[in-house]
Amino acid sequence: MKKRFLSVLLTGTLALSLTACGAAKEAAPAAEPAAETAEATEAAAPEGDTITLGLIGPMTGSLAVYGTHIQSGAELAIEQINADGGVKIGDKAYMLTTEVKDDQGDSTECLNSINALVSDGISLVIGSATSGCTSAITSVANSEGVCLITPSGTSDSLTTTMDYVFRTCFKDSFQGELAAKYAKDEGFSKIGIVYCSADTYSAGLRDAFTAAAGKLGLEIVAEESVASMAEVDYSNQFNKMVSAGAELVFTPFYYDVMGPYLVPQARQAGFSGVLLGADGVDNTETTIPDGMDLSVYNDVLFVNHYATELATSDVSSKFVTTYTDKYGETPNNFDALGYDAVLVYKAAMEKAGSADGAAVQAALADTSVVYDCASGTFSFDETGTPIKTGVLVGYSYEAGASEVTKTAIKVLSVE
Amino acid sequence: MSTFMQFITTGLRLGSVYALIALGYTMVYGIIKLINFAHGDFIMVGGYTLFFTIPAFMKLGLPGWAAVFIAIIVCAVVGMLVELLAYRPVRKRGNNLTSLITAIAMSFILENLAQAIPAIGPDPRVPYMLFNNDIKIGSFSISVATLITIVVSAIIMIGLYQFTQKTKIGRAMRCVSEDKQAAVLMGINVNKVIIITFAIGAGLAAVAALMYIAQYPKVTTTMGATLGIYAFVSAVLGGIGSLPGAMLGGIIIGIVQSGTSTYISSSMADTFVYLILIVVLMVKPAGILGKNIGEKV
Repeated sequence: MKKRFLSVLLTGTLALSLTACGAAKEAAPAAEPAAETAEATEAAAPEGDTITLGLIGPMTGSLAVYGTHIQSGAELAIEQINADGGVKIGDKAYMLTTEVKDDQGDSTECLNSINALVSDGISLVIGSATSGCTSAITSVANSEGVCLITPSGTSDSLTTTMDYVFRTCFKDSFQGELAAKYAKDEGFSKIGIVYCSADTYSAGLRDAFTAAAGKLGLEIVAEESVASMAEVDYSNQFNKMVSAGAELVFTPFYYDVMGPYLVPQARQAGFSGVLLGADGVDNTETTIPDGMDLSVYNDVLFVNHYATELATSDVSSKFVTTYTDKYGETPNNFDALGYDAVLVYKAAMEKAGSADGAAVQAALADTSVVYDCASGTFSFDETGTPIKTGVLVGYSYEAGASEVTKTAIKVLSVE
Repeated sequence: MSTFMQFITTGLRLGSVYALIALGYTMVYGIIKLINFAHGDFIMVGGYTLFFTIPAFMKLGLPGWAAVFIAIIVCAVVGMLVELLAYRPVRKRGNNLTSLITAIAMSFILENLAQAIPAIGPDPRVPYMLFNNDIKIGSFSISVATLITIVVSAIIMIGLYQFTQKTKIGRAMRCVSEDKQAAVLMGINVNKVIIITFAIGAGLAAVAALMYIAQYPKVTTTMGATLGIYAFVSAVLGGIGSLPGAMLGGIIIGIVQSGTSTYISSSMADTFVYLILIVVLMVKPAGILGKNIGEKV
């Protein structure tokens, strides 16, 4: 008890003190990015021949798959850009390099990471992986005039009020809409929701899903929340889903609880319908215990950013082949989104003719620019979120197989 | 199938694990009056040991659960090392408070040490799933792992009780618990008794780890922190120092958590756990089965 109390106290104090400084300075640089752009063009030409991109993500801990894959994707992009002659600013070419910080999936660590990058003079940052962590650093990025592209922070609010924050993934309200539309199209009429009200990502998705379901006339028969994203027992929640007669349950959780806890417990509670999640469910195959009855993972579906099978453009197919050659495995979501964040920065720097934070921000804020990326071709909306499509992916298991298979089912879009 | 029965099974599932861990807490407390905060982390040590040994045992054609014997040995060694390197030197010079702080420090040291060892690493591991069957009676189903956990907890509880009552070393433990000075005068090697207590307590943690991962198959370096807190609360609720109390406390905590999330709200589960703890402690400060006059095992 003492341990938990102490750590809460400490985290609280840290967070408070940091937000306090952040809030005070917030308005200043954001108000005049345009004015700075002109002088920045010559003044902020990067020193030496390299430009360093900051990279923050959970490299270790429960969500390490996210951070490490964002890093692999980003490093692949950097390697290719450097091999092709680097980033051309004016008539000079610059090589890219990264400075990687591990936030362990923890908001406080994430704040420390961005502060360290800022004090190292880095003004272009990729990170972090989760909405919770990213939301802890957006105000620092904004007040310090540091561009922040989150590859996978999907929470709507991340980019709405922060001019310096962009992302390469779609946002939760879009994702929730896609999920609800899928449920409607497939003719599910009784929908249940199990989510975590205390988490930015999970609660945001639940809100988006509920709103879209309401519009589409879907009936939500039961809704249950768990205490935290690290909850180990979901039995009671699914008992209620079963007794309410839900045919499809929306489960906005991360892969670390889906594999060992949520899916098997849902089936044990007698729920045999569809479990529909969002992008956090990707990589569930890495957390399935050996010795588990794999048939429980049938009908586990999720909305995703990207699927290699459905990669059609030149950029995306080049990404898939080069990634597979370099790392010996097929890329996932996070690889693609991390890769894209670097491509977007490169395009923006070349457009701005500078690697200065304010200049790049101005270039990124131009909604007419079209980025041809691994996860699709898109441009940013006014908030800095790409307008793109989603993919429905599902797990299935055939009796006798040694593992579950993950297949892209179809492209999802809202008209 | 009634919601009621289902909530009871979920409660038993959680509670049986808490009970098993609480036995270890209460046992160490009963003998040396030290709340061993590192006990939760012994479970983590057990969990990782099992992660490696279960697949190895199965390859050799042995039953997977037998790997627990290796885990018991590993945990007992870790427990004894903790006592030798940290608790004993501190106990010589300090008082109960310094011991308590050392226990908290030890807990953090074990967690961070585990994170730093590459083979264990900071990333969570998903161990082999044992006892992965359900028993179904009509529409009511309970997992085999839950049943085994309850049975194992009961056997350990009875076994420990008999051990402390009947064996020589067990009686020595009770002596040390009642009066250390007098125990020394009676020719009991107090340090030996204490180190055996730690070995047994940590060994119990290995058994608890086995039953925990059979129901919740994931091990992380910080898994002991939350588990340890619930188990500690269970031990206090049941009356710390009392073996049947630890078991009763664990089951009560599990059922309260499950009941709150079924009938009220999942977010309130912890609130109710601690509320009940406070109410019980106000009415009966020594816990449900605790004795008011100095704790004995």
